[in-house]
Amino acid sequence: MSHRQDSPERRGIDRRRFLTTAALGGATIVGASALGGLDADAAFAAPMPSLDPAIAKSAFAEGRITAINGSVLEVAGSYGDQHLIQLTNATSVWKLRPTTAEEIKVGDGLYARGVDMPDGTIAADAVWVNIVNLYCTVKGIAKDRLHLAHGAQDHAVVGRIVADTTTASYLGGALTSDLSRVRIGQSAQILGAWRPEDDAIDIARVTVGH
Amino acid sequence: MACGSTSLWAGETTWFCCGSSWGPCGSAGGGACGTCNSSAHQAAWPNASAACFSITRPDLCGENMARRGCGSVMNVRHQCSGATVCVTVADCGPRTQSFCGESTCCNGSCRTNRVIDLTPAAFSVIGNLSSGKLPVYIYE
Repeated sequence: MSHRQDSPERRGIDRRRFLTTAALGGATIVGASALGGLDADAAFAAPMPSLDPAIAKSAFAEGRITAINGSVLEVAGSYGDQHLIQLTNATSVWKLRPTTAEEIKVGDGLYARGVDMPDGTIAADAVWVNIVNLYCTVKGIAKDRLHLAHGAQDHAVVGRIVADTTTASYLGGALTSDLSRVRIGQSAQILGAWRPEDDAIDIARVTVGH
Repeated sequence: MACGSTSLWAGETTWFCCGSSWGPCGSAGGGACGTCNSSAHQAAWPNASAACFSITRPDLCGENMARRGCGSVMNVRHQCSGATVCVTVADCGPRTQSFCGESTCCNGSCRTNRVIDLTPAAFSVIGNLSSGKLPVYIYE
């Protein structure tokens, strides 16, 4: 039995064609699973090339969402710039976990990667909503949260432990739901989703260091 | 300065935010070089200066990388996909010593120790932000 496997370059080109076609055709939003395989773990299992090997520069946008009009996100960049992010059937959405566009709210922060379109929008290949990846020191441990210090000024951050979601990795080891080995004073990399409503972070993964 | 192809180092890359931003990243500031911006293709290097090196201490993990100060240019390539991004050093980091021995793998091949940090714009060129870290080769 034969088994055809496309090259990474071939997959990248096919993906971009699908993405731009979907954007130009005004595709409806169906969320991250339309093409599948773009969440973190899947990306590791099948390493994906940059958005498209045929183009030297993908588009990138950062900022907070000020309005949602259909499948277009209006985004105010942190330097006064404005972006229109077009979501398509091919857009991968992450908000604490791989999810759908319905989870995106006005006031959320985001990073978006995609392709510049002729109408000035960015057709998004991936949108990471409220994602943060902070180097912290563990200052306190409670049943449902970690008290953390981040940055040169030891900015206080509350990291919420989310049932069935938060995992830990100890020095890069396999992910586990067991957080019992986290200790006060340890260094920790916190990958999670910022919560605009209370400025806390829902923890997706805590990587514990020395 | 153009990005080159001379091998410099290999290891893990993570990502970090800097410059004006939202949420907890809003307090990050412009980094050690004063120019760091999450939307630019920039990086943090553990030996950006002597003061930087005294914080990151990659040598404690056996990583004695050369000094490359603010404005130095590097090519960072995902070890498996081959995706590449050209970055400029704009900050000090990551804290290599805090994660000595940590490995990140793809296709059965692993890179050990955090040796470079990328801005979200740069990291997203070669991988998925939600992965948090990637195994990379670095060139100059």
